[in-house]
Amino acid sequence: MSQPATSGRRGSLTKEFAERRSIRSEAMAYGMVAPLLVFILALALYPTVLTTIDAFMHIDPVTPPNHFAGFGNFTAIFSNPEIRQSFENTGWYVLFGVGLTVVLGTTFGLLLQRKFRGRGVVLAIVILPWALPGVVEGVIWSWIYDPTFGVLNSVLKSLHLLSQYQLFIGTRQIESILLTSLVQVWQITPLATLLVLASLQGIPGELYEAARVDGAGWWQVIRRITLPCIRPGLAIAAVEALVLSLNIFDQVYVLNAGASTASSVMSMTYFITFQGLNFGQGYALSLLATVVTVALSLGTLKLIYRKVTF
Amino acid sequence: MSNKWMHSAVFKVTAMAAAVSLVLFGSAVAASSATHHGNSKSVTINVAIAYPAPPKAMLAKFTHETGIKVNWSYLQWDDLQTKIAAAAEANTYFADVTDVDWSKVGEYYVTKWFLPLNKYFSMSSLKSQYPQLSSFVRNGTLVGMPMDGSLLVTTINEKDFHKAGITSMPTTFSKYAKDLQTLKAKGIVAHPLDIPFAAAEGLSTYWYELTAAMGGQVLSPSYKPLFTSKSSAGYKAMTWMVNAYKTGLVAKANLGYEDYQGFETEMAHGLAASVFSDYSGDVGTVYDVASQSSVVGDIDYSPTPGISGIAPNLGNPDGIGIPRSAEHVQAAVEFIKWMEEPANQAAFAGANGPKNVISTFPLPSNRGGLSLLAKSGKVPGATALVNLVEKHGRAVFPAGAPPWYPNFSNAVYTNLHGAAAGTESVASAISAIASVVRSLSS
Repeated sequence: MSQPATSGRRGSLTKEFAERRSIRSEAMAYGMVAPLLVFILALALYPTVLTTIDAFMHIDPVTPPNHFAGFGNFTAIFSNPEIRQSFENTGWYVLFGVGLTVVLGTTFGLLLQRKFRGRGVVLAIVILPWALPGVVEGVIWSWIYDPTFGVLNSVLKSLHLLSQYQLFIGTRQIESILLTSLVQVWQITPLATLLVLASLQGIPGELYEAARVDGAGWWQVIRRITLPCIRPGLAIAAVEALVLSLNIFDQVYVLNAGASTASSVMSMTYFITFQGLNFGQGYALSLLATVVTVALSLGTLKLIYRKVTF
Repeated sequence: MSNKWMHSAVFKVTAMAAAVSLVLFGSAVAASSATHHGNSKSVTINVAIAYPAPPKAMLAKFTHETGIKVNWSYLQWDDLQTKIAAAAEANTYFADVTDVDWSKVGEYYVTKWFLPLNKYFSMSSLKSQYPQLSSFVRNGTLVGMPMDGSLLVTTINEKDFHKAGITSMPTTFSKYAKDLQTLKAKGIVAHPLDIPFAAAEGLSTYWYELTAAMGGQVLSPSYKPLFTSKSSAGYKAMTWMVNAYKTGLVAKANLGYEDYQGFETEMAHGLAASVFSDYSGDVGTVYDVASQSSVVGDIDYSPTPGISGIAPNLGNPDGIGIPRSAEHVQAAVEFIKWMEEPANQAAFAGANGPKNVISTFPLPSNRGGLSLLAKSGKVPGATALVNLVEKHGRAVFPAGAPPWYPNFSNAVYTNLHGAAAGTESVASAISAIASVVRSLSS
């Protein structure tokens, strides 16, 4: 008689204990997330809300007072030929940035997948550009591209590909954008490589063995097994490249200064906001950049990301 | 039950986050409101300047004399302007003393981001002491104090000129242009002239200086464009600059060079023989510094050649002022007074030798400092520079920089760069700049 009662009580105590434990562990998880939440609220959400509001205001300390401007800032932005040029340029930056980063990241990831002597050292070297600030990279690459002393000119001339030193950045739009974009690609490819490499290492070896037994060639293995299996890593790498290319600034500022040939939306935002002091238009451009970044990132995820289970 | 708890936990965490945010915000507000406008003793002031700090011993002496400690932050000029604008617009504390460039005076007068200094400095006595004071005064308001006496000057590699058989340095623009052609034709220097064609401020000021040398100005006192006619000095100056680039007087590389890059990579290494619009002070701080120059002793300041004789040298001075959000105004005033002492100004420019120098500091802002510098004999070309300041110094805009100057300069350097790059003609560049001026001044 007492046995079932005891058993029932014990069962209820165990359940209660498990529930308390679960509550405690969940509370701990929330507690640990709380500081991050504060940062997100304070440094991302709050400024985004303010930017959204101010994008519809005339805010220019040189021509006060501030007042509601409706879509005035947006109209001004789209009627400014220099800003329109920066939209086009940024499209090229995205095309080059995302394309090259994904291709190079995947290639390097595949090359580094195989174990070889010194692989750890190579990995450490590969990640180095990621650690450098954009401005430093811009300065390094301005020496490489320099038309008087530059390494690129020197190499191309010694290979007889150039008859005389060339000016690479400044005169031709696409060439200037491609070369500026390369600097950023050089910076972000290491992270893409690591993301791809991490995905590659999650693929079970049995899949490759089975493919080999079935007589699949190298390209078929890549196309039918490797690429589909690393889609989550590729998606993150592509989004990372997309976000950074859409917001490219440091490299443009160092290599191109204020010229419109290779200007980007972010460089125009900087000039309009901090040189022209037209904060309202600066906020509007920032808001546009944010909306486009979020929309294209979601689109890219939807296009590339697939859940992969083994 | 679990879901209910989850909701409650989310609520609690959000509330906690909000509470922490409020506490942080509250602390920041409390800290920022704890300002001290009266007492200047035993305080630390933050000074954000586009010059490296003077030697510690000098600042320590100031602290010993006044009790004011100085926390000196050296920021690049562009970064500094961004920070000033961001802090002022956000109405937050940034520094007690910071840069007031001549080109920003009109803007700061309108935005009221800086405290007027009239009640701390006597305008009547300043006028006789400061050759470039007018650049810092707008409608009687002293927006900032001139911190240096920078001028746009012409530098010439005399050794190269002599090699080309040119014995007398040019005093007219036509002779200057001919001498450059001679240098190129004789192969002394492949690209004898340095013009920084990168789309940046240095390109704009180069055009202003060349326009002045050609006998004109870019804007009228009421800020109307004076450069639209083909016969105007501004139009001729731009045409000459672009031709100089296209005909190889200027190296191709210059399309990407800002002013300082041209001075350091070309002029300091003998790759150019002249800069028409150089910084006063570059001979002593760049060209005669053996560690960064291969032309030590070869370059000298030369009176700027104009259409019919010596041309004006336009002022390019940096000033200092007190932002409205400054926490220690009285201490800031004392610091500015100390910075302006003639002996200190001369020392910053090298009158006492290298020990008290502020790196890249061009010239003292006041006549007392200029006189001490010339007397010291320790800075190359100082006497020539003092002479240029007194005889040929002139403000870029006689009526002061317009409040929209940064937009104007942006239009100048973007279009002038485009004309050199071949993406537009000189005529369209001139037209685009004029259009910007008209819309800004209307």
